[in-house]
Amino acid sequence: MNYQKIAEHVVQEALKLGVDEAEAYIENNRDFDLRVRNGDVETVKQSTTKGIGLTVYKDKKLGFSYTSDLTDESLDDFIKRTIQLSEVADPKPWNGLPDFGEEAKQTDLDLWDGSISEIESNKKIEIAKEVERIALAYDKRITKSYASSFGDSESETIIVNSKGISRTCQETAVGFGVSVIAGEGNEMQTGGWSSNKRHFRDLENAEDVAKEAGKRTIEKLGAKPVKTTKVPVVFDRYATGAFWYGLLFALDGDSAYKKTTFLTDFLNKPIASELVTVIDNPTLPRHIGSTPFDGEGKITRKNTLIENGILQMFIYDSITARKAGIKVSTMARRRGYKGPASASTLNVIVQKGNTSREKIIQGINEGFYVTGLRGIGTDASTGNYSVGASGFWIKNGEIAFPVDGVTLGGNMAEILKNIESVADDLDLRGTLNSPSFKVSELAVGGKQ
Amino acid sequence: MKKYFQPIKRREFIKKGMAGGTVIATAPLWKLFSYSLPAPDINSNPLSDLDKDTLKKLLTIGLQNGGEFAEVYVEYTVQNSIGLDENKIRAASRGVDMGVGIRVVQGEKTGYAHSDDLSLEKLKETARVAGLIASGEIKRESAALKEKDIPDYYLVKTSPDGIIPQDKAKLLWKGNEVARAYDKRINQVGVGFSDINKKIIIANSEGVFVTDHQTISRLMVSASALENGKRSRGYAYKGGTLGYEHYDVQTAEELAKEAGRIAMAMLPAEDAPAGEYPVVLAKGDCGTFFHEAIGHSLEGDGARRKTTCFWDKKGEAIASEIVSLADDGTVPGARGSINVDDEGTPSQKNILIQDGTCTGFLYDKLNAKLMNTKSTGNGRRESYQHYPIPRMTNTYLMAGKDDPEDILKSVKRGIYIARIGGGNVSPTTGRFVFQVPEGYMIEDGKITTPLKGIQLMGNGPDVLMNITMVGPDLEIWGGGTCGKSGQGKPVSDGNPTLKVAKVTIGGAKIQSS
Repeated sequence: MNYQKIAEHVVQEALKLGVDEAEAYIENNRDFDLRVRNGDVETVKQSTTKGIGLTVYKDKKLGFSYTSDLTDESLDDFIKRTIQLSEVADPKPWNGLPDFGEEAKQTDLDLWDGSISEIESNKKIEIAKEVERIALAYDKRITKSYASSFGDSESETIIVNSKGISRTCQETAVGFGVSVIAGEGNEMQTGGWSSNKRHFRDLENAEDVAKEAGKRTIEKLGAKPVKTTKVPVVFDRYATGAFWYGLLFALDGDSAYKKTTFLTDFLNKPIASELVTVIDNPTLPRHIGSTPFDGEGKITRKNTLIENGILQMFIYDSITARKAGIKVSTMARRRGYKGPASASTLNVIVQKGNTSREKIIQGINEGFYVTGLRGIGTDASTGNYSVGASGFWIKNGEIAFPVDGVTLGGNMAEILKNIESVADDLDLRGTLNSPSFKVSELAVGGKQ
Repeated sequence: MKKYFQPIKRREFIKKGMAGGTVIATAPLWKLFSYSLPAPDINSNPLSDLDKDTLKKLLTIGLQNGGEFAEVYVEYTVQNSIGLDENKIRAASRGVDMGVGIRVVQGEKTGYAHSDDLSLEKLKETARVAGLIASGEIKRESAALKEKDIPDYYLVKTSPDGIIPQDKAKLLWKGNEVARAYDKRINQVGVGFSDINKKIIIANSEGVFVTDHQTISRLMVSASALENGKRSRGYAYKGGTLGYEHYDVQTAEELAKEAGRIAMAMLPAEDAPAGEYPVVLAKGDCGTFFHEAIGHSLEGDGARRKTTCFWDKKGEAIASEIVSLADDGTVPGARGSINVDDEGTPSQKNILIQDGTCTGFLYDKLNAKLMNTKSTGNGRRESYQHYPIPRMTNTYLMAGKDDPEDILKSVKRGIYIARIGGGNVSPTTGRFVFQVPEGYMIEDGKITTPLKGIQLMGNGPDVLMNITMVGPDLEIWGGGTCGKSGQGKPVSDGNPTLKVAKVTIGGAKIQSS
């Protein structure tokens, strides 16, 4: 089926039925997921899914619908209903399709691996079995496998709007991983690791992934809470995601417009230590967080959110930007065809520093090295920060014992300014990438 | 971007208008799926070709590689939502999902394939792909499909899908007006109504054939307050497996006042003190705690794989003697209630902990079979795109005997949790963390200062042992969407007033010790 033609047809039909503007977004995916436990295949799941999301504006009123039924007869009804829905909404002067102005050309980010559909099932099963086998053998205290898995997908995204935007993108993703359990009885700990890439040959090897999973599980054994105290805290690079997510919520442009974020009045002012530079860059070739155009069809580019501690921009989609009187929107993300696009970062990278993580830890007399966070814990309106945490206690510059069952508490505004060093260990693995960093002091809540 | 593998992590209320079995047997299936929709009616429905003969054929194709069990799950879902913020109706939206999921099981192996292309050719291919997992000698045929009569726990007279958005908008306007009038410091109000209307057909090779029409609705009001740079937020909602007759402008008014009350109560909130404290949980809205911190560790998949902290504890004391815990899919109108689970098994009340002793786990068919027991009616799935796994329905701590006032009076210095917000737990270690949108200090047995930034944390098994008082005032209330293995599912929970002797509180304020 030619989905671009369908999208164009739907937009044209909506215009014929009297809307002022229309946008159709179609996704068409093929997915494969495999799960292995104790050396045997447990589940194999194969699927194809597709769907269309239609946004219409009539007299500045918004209507939105989605459906997975793309047959001709159903689409006619679908378009009519979407238009009817727009009738109940109130007009908003900022409603309407985005104005992108002069745009760069869509570039090929090398996000498609044509070989993925040709990988034999047996090979996928072998990879999943191997990663489990090595992880289970890593240490005799590893007692069980939770599961290992392998998955791949091919997806096609189409966005067509009545202002002449017509874009398509094809991308692949492939990954595998393992999760194991260490210990028995009253003490069990879980840990896991995975590798996720655009191209099959970019995947890390099964042995490295398995050993990392094993190591991350074993080192948690014997973890215990500490007494409530205030100490320097090092956030490990792989545990920082939830921390930065909390900050990103507070950088939402519409929240700034409504004055509901604690950073409302801080544009172009310092909000963090000058060691902190945060960019959004979805244009890195072959990267898992890259995409040629965003959820509104806008050609992606690199945006600097925070530079040397100074807040450079809030995050807007075209609607929230227009509402706030901001000329240029940042980026919008679409979470599938079932909803409209909304302001979001796409691939966040916190710039690395020039100290090693080991050195940072060595410089701490007594402190907490955080390797896991439970929850996001940031209240974007007040900046209050409170999360569950696990990791290791630092004594005299060395890792002393594993810690779990404690909380970190403070206020984001202070924590950001108290970032005292940023490590050089940035690893671009996901869509939120950060090096490890040290905060000079944070409340650790535990036993009394 | 989709990630294929993530280490184990979990985050983090009708009479249906369907007649009995004979009608189902004779009516064309498209009739089962035609909603009383606002005009224009759905005039075509591609599910119309899926009659019992076709389903049986698909089951037999699924078994042709030697599988032991095959199942077809057909779904047609309409979701509606309408929202108001900044004094304007933002948008009304509608979505349609339909498709067929086919599962074939052999031993511990499951093959699953699904399709939203409902042509017979494509469905046969889907059944064949699902069956590839098997490699058995015996080629079974599906048993003849026989309808099953099921009870009805939904409280639905009027389907919310049949209500035009203009009518729903009236509730939103009322909620907005009342919340804004509650106090002049309230500066933002959001109101939303949403409903999910799902029709399912489940047919399996053992001859089961069940249809169900599930309706879930919710009205929610949130209010934000601002004074001298201090902010707070309150929200309130009503929802469940409820028809539209359960909502009117008075409902909106009550919810708006409650949202306003909480926002104003929390405006002067102070930083929560970090450390270990006795905690009193208010009745009704703290049940999420038992769902997350205990219930997930009592699901049958974890018990079979021995990956949860309670897998080997059946028959043993895992809680103080005053603790009894149930999961009950039959509570009329509750958000987690189901007439049948997503494998066609009728829902039931399951006691998980009786007087402190672990009495059982929640099972779907596969895990039950492998554990030589029966499904407890907890095989649930998010949609046709997912295979069923053991899931909770309405989970609650059962009533006890302590006077709620005595419970409060027994605490010299502690924390009062009026409601628990979102949270997550590792079912293996039992470790949890929860946010608390409304909490207070308890001083000398009295509720005093409102607190912000409270995080409750600890581990489920410890807390169970530390429950020292339980009131008689059980309420099963509210609920949300639980996420597990990438599948979201509506659930509810409940609890009477209770006291936990000590829980770790995360907060910004460090007490000098």
